[in-house]
Amino acid sequence: MELVRVFVCVLSVFVSLLSDRLVVLAAFSQSLDSDFTFTLPPGRKECFYQTMKKEASLEIEYQVLDGAGLDVDFYISSPSGQLLFSDYRKSDGVHTIETEDGDYMFCFDNTFSSVSEKLIFFELILDNMDTEDPDDWKEYVHGSDMLDMKMEDIMDTINNVKARLGKSVQIQTVLRAFEARDRNLQESNFDRVNFWSVINLIVMVLVSAVQVYLVRSLFEDKRKMRT
Amino acid sequence: MMLSVPAAGVLLLLAWIHPGDGLYFHIGETEKKCFIEEIPDETMVIGKYRTQLWDKQTSSFLPSTPGLGMHVEIKDPDTKIILSRQYGSDGRFTFTSHTPGEHQICLHSNSTKMALFAGGKLRVHLDIQVGEHTNNYPEIAAKDKLTELQLRVRQLLDQVEQIQKEQNYQRYREERFRMTSESTNQRVLWWSIAQTLILIVTGIWQMKHLKSFFEAKKLV
Repeated sequence: MELVRVFVCVLSVFVSLLSDRLVVLAAFSQSLDSDFTFTLPPGRKECFYQTMKKEASLEIEYQVLDGAGLDVDFYISSPSGQLLFSDYRKSDGVHTIETEDGDYMFCFDNTFSSVSEKLIFFELILDNMDTEDPDDWKEYVHGSDMLDMKMEDIMDTINNVKARLGKSVQIQTVLRAFEARDRNLQESNFDRVNFWSVINLIVMVLVSAVQVYLVRSLFEDKRKMRT
Repeated sequence: MMLSVPAAGVLLLLAWIHPGDGLYFHIGETEKKCFIEEIPDETMVIGKYRTQLWDKQTSSFLPSTPGLGMHVEIKDPDTKIILSRQYGSDGRFTFTSHTPGEHQICLHSNSTKMALFAGGKLRVHLDIQVGEHTNNYPEIAAKDKLTELQLRVRQLLDQVEQIQKEQNYQRYREERFRMTSESTNQRVLWWSIAQTLILIVTGIWQMKHLKSFFEAKKLV
């Protein structure tokens, strides 16, 4: 009957795969914090969607890392289509939303710029999602630790440390984005200084040569006219 | 509760691929969407995606479309392609960085039949995990036979190691940044001085040249 039990297990998992709702039970849920960096071409708008549950919270932080004016339009709308926040040509922003059930849409808009491509970084921090926590590894541990009562305290401390380290990682991600933006800015400054110095040199030399030539030509014509 | 081993194995396999509900976006047929991950070296990255196709008849997104795959292309900071492969409608790709820097992950659909995209939209659920988030703790717990406490401590160690790696990389980036800034500052200074000198020299040359010209033409 071991074989039958295993077969039923596998079958039930397959069934759950087919129906969207139950899928979350059988799988790793998507990590609760995610960040993405992408390029937004000029004149384009990119939208992302995030599925949320009721009474959870969604925090979104974005920065423009590279591209001419370092600014972008941003807006976020609720599942019912209502516009929640709208930023006009900002270079970075943070928004926190108490969520309902449904898909939230947030968009980055670069339509105001016809030439410059923007590099945009955004980070999503989800709270209270009550999803199948990464703690599903609890089912796979072997044996047990002795001293159950003391274990509770130790586990609490460890969970605390893990949460703080998680926060450190988030701060690191944000700092990385800031640094990337400053670095991109400096590199474009460097390129610009080089380019315009050379242009400047060429123009100066050309202008002085043209000036001399023009003045000379003025007088040469008069000479010819006299004789 | 300990699951029987084969069922556990199947669960692990499914968890392996499936990104679940979460962030998604729409992609057109010929569109290529690229994401940039700035990571230290020797860091593993796992990307999982799931696609859904818009069905005009039911006006909804169908769970999965057979035959519609995504082409994944990954470039390293030197724009050399380190992964260029086709995956199915649900896929999982993984790579380990060997140089620190900005890696680019690009996705585009391999659909050639216009009919599939009649509705015009493909929904892609994407999840990219970097560094210690790639560790499969259920697998590690099972393989090394760890107790709960041991596993927790292992997680903390991995987390701290990743933070440390990131900080080292940050130090290297900041150094490059500082070098670029200093070089720019220097160039601005030297160029201003050079420009002033060139202007003075050109002015003197012009005056001398014109003076000798007028003297030659007997105007002065």
